[in-house]
Amino acid sequence: MSPLKGMALARHIFENREEYPRKLKKEGKSVIGYICCFSPPEIMHAAGALPYRITGQPGESTSEVDNYLEPFGCSYIRNIFSRYIRGKLDFLDGLVISHSCDMVQRLYGIWTYYYPFPYSRLVNVPHQLHPWSQDFFYRELVLFKESLENHFKIEISTEALTVSIDLYNHIRQLIRELYQLRGGSNPKLLSSELMEVLVAGEVLSPEDFLLLLQDAVDEIASRNVPVVNPNSVRILVWGSILDHPHFYRLIEEAGGQIVTDDTCLGERFWNKDVPVTEDPVEGLKEQYLLNFQCPRIDRGPGTQRFAYLKEMAEQYRVQGAIGYVMSFCDPHKLDYPDLHDYLDKEGIPMLLIDDNYSLQSSGSISTRLQAFMEMLS
Amino acid sequence: MSTESEMKKAVRHLETTARIKELLPGFFARPTEETDRPVAWCMVGVPPELLKAFDLEWEWPENFGTLCASNLVAPKFIELAEGEGYSSDICSYVNNTMGYCKRYLEEKGAPPELGKVRGMRKPSFLLGSGVTCEPRYKWFQTVATRYFQVPIHSTDPLAPPWDQDATDLRIEKHYLEQLRRDLHGQVDFLEKQTGQKLDMERLKKIMEYSQEALWYWYQVLQLRKAVPSPMGSTDYFMAIIPQMYMLGELEAVNFYRQMYNEVKDRVEKGISVTNKEKYRLIWFGLPPWFNLGMFNYLESVGAVVVYESIYNMGEWVELDLSDPLEALVERTWKKAVDANERGAETRPETCELSAVGNFTGSNLLEELVEDFKLDGAILHQTRSCRALSFGHIHTKNRLARLDIPSLVFESDMADPRLWSDAQVKTRIHAFLEMMDK
Ligand code: SF4
Ligand code: SF4
Repeated sequence: MSPLKGMALARHIFENREEYPRKLKKEGKSVIGYICCFSPPEIMHAAGALPYRITGQPGESTSEVDNYLEPFGCSYIRNIFSRYIRGKLDFLDGLVISHSCDMVQRLYGIWTYYYPFPYSRLVNVPHQLHPWSQDFFYRELVLFKESLENHFKIEISTEALTVSIDLYNHIRQLIRELYQLRGGSNPKLLSSELMEVLVAGEVLSPEDFLLLLQDAVDEIASRNVPVVNPNSVRILVWGSILDHPHFYRLIEEAGGQIVTDDTCLGERFWNKDVPVTEDPVEGLKEQYLLNFQCPRIDRGPGTQRFAYLKEMAEQYRVQGAIGYVMSFCDPHKLDYPDLHDYLDKEGIPMLLIDDNYSLQSSGSISTRLQAFMEMLS
Repeated sequence: MSTESEMKKAVRHLETTARIKELLPGFFARPTEETDRPVAWCMVGVPPELLKAFDLEWEWPENFGTLCASNLVAPKFIELAEGEGYSSDICSYVNNTMGYCKRYLEEKGAPPELGKVRGMRKPSFLLGSGVTCEPRYKWFQTVATRYFQVPIHSTDPLAPPWDQDATDLRIEKHYLEQLRRDLHGQVDFLEKQTGQKLDMERLKKIMEYSQEALWYWYQVLQLRKAVPSPMGSTDYFMAIIPQMYMLGELEAVNFYRQMYNEVKDRVEKGISVTNKEKYRLIWFGLPPWFNLGMFNYLESVGAVVVYESIYNMGEWVELDLSDPLEALVERTWKKAVDANERGAETRPETCELSAVGNFTGSNLLEELVEDFKLDGAILHQTRSCRALSFGHIHTKNRLARLDIPSLVFESDMADPRLWSDAQVKTRIHAFLEMMDK
């Protein structure tokens, strides 16, 4: 590892996301790229591989994908795939995509057709929570594990998988400590900083990430120069994938402090431990199908499906919610009107920002953010 | 777009499709007034045979979307939905429904701006499905949240991805268990809602009708291999109605039988949709329902669509009807295996529980080019439906390897705002020139 530690290391990894996997690959480690967490990284880790969550670079050119993907598609997907075509992800030994949303699922077929990998896998995910759908997902996870066993010619023992789950749960606990430091009554951490830590976590092995987190928690806890304006408006961010601090910075500049979030790389992933079960796959099923609050799962009608957000808002004394949705992102866009009305009834105003993963119009976005903060404060 | 498009009016070539309203009173003349009988709102993917077995009244919001689109009333509903916060990116059928529901509640019944379009009665319960796209189950989730707080059940029919071997016994078992339990779950819900037990003997009879109708329909589609082409897309896009919504009804059998006889007769006599057939085309994607006259325009310049990938029932599936529920599972699974064996890279990993199919790039293309003597392809990129247009560029690439040129054009199935007659014509003519070379 580099001599850097804690937050400085997080920034370094964030800015040089390809350096670490390249190095590990040289040392003989297999690197498996994945996109959504319905394919649990715990299983890939237990198989001895480095689970590398593929992230994008907002604003980068995506013209490389025009020969493969339609313009009317999620810009995040286009961004990721064009990075691969440009050779930015040339260290990947495998690709795992779960059927999290339609866009990602179609990408899998197109990507693996034109660029086959030595190992690739689509993890199929039910949309409903029927008992049989849950059983399906359990079997699907078992088959996923077996496919890794066959590929790597290894056996993933129950113990090995349990160790991986423990390790990730330990990470979850530390991340929750960071959440407290950003969302407590005296915030010491900005979300834009936290984002760099979270992205570093998608790159590093869980062992290395754990070390980084321990240092980061100590470092932030002992901060005595305030980084957060005490008068900031307390904001909850909800939405599609956010894997770059840019948007968070805009909110901070407009006078907001993101005290909590409901996003893929954020709370959705870390807020609960994977249940410890005798059969570890059971625990993973519960975590990723039931606990993970992605709108692509049908949790039935009624606004009760958003009750967890009200709880979060109460816990973090949220003053307003900001939604960030990607153009063409059906799961989020279809939930938005119901969510907006629900939060409104609960006295939490909501502002929606629709973006194509470029934040090109950050000028006008900033104006809207500022107006929203003024209204709230 | 101009609502004045000259492609608005579509002319059908067959007597059967021209008389469709008379021939299918069960669909076109069904009651509009609210009664005590339960009405199910259904998503495509709900087997119509089951609805028949429970004697249910039904409405299909997707079909309602196409009707509102054809009659140019969809834009008003779509705008209303946008006002509620539904993005213009969202499936225009969904937004059409949302706008309609809002107006329905304001008016305490179907709103007056529908004009000639028959309004949907209010639902007693909702039958959603996870077929093909996310909007399909999110749609009813939100209808039941905002507008009609009625019971809801959505199915979850999953299929293996393109690179997994569907004939592998473990994979087969894995998916069959899901499909079977999913269907039984739907039946349990229907039994609970209607207070009736599913009558298996009745369902068997219904399945016999269903198979018979599909058999004639399959033969009609095969007859389209003939040169010159005996029917066109304006016929096809009307004739899908029984396949989508009326399988299991005697009317559907009679309709397709009559259509088969008519098309067969036209083939024997060499009667074609245009006397200058020069280019034979395959169509991908949903049609622009508001401008189906585009197909007539193509015919007027010698280009006939002879195969539509959308709604296509695909291969004929023989079924053992002794256990009719199992036959439904078998139909679904066999279609999934068939698609999987052809390597449909960009197919959704969901099955079609009804008899409807759709495909984008796959090995099937080679066969079709040969059998239907194709010269080119038109791929309609529907802005608000990515589910059925994502994969078109890939299809275009695969067709290019077979020396088949493609025209990709962008518009929508129900929202005419992106349409321009002039642009469409320019693109068509450039494409024809390309095929000439
Ligand atoms: S942003 Fe939305 S459409 Fe894009 S990958 Fe995520 S869930 Fe899918
Ligand atoms: S397949 Fe397309 S048109 Fe049909 S419901 Fe889904 S998004 Fe809408």
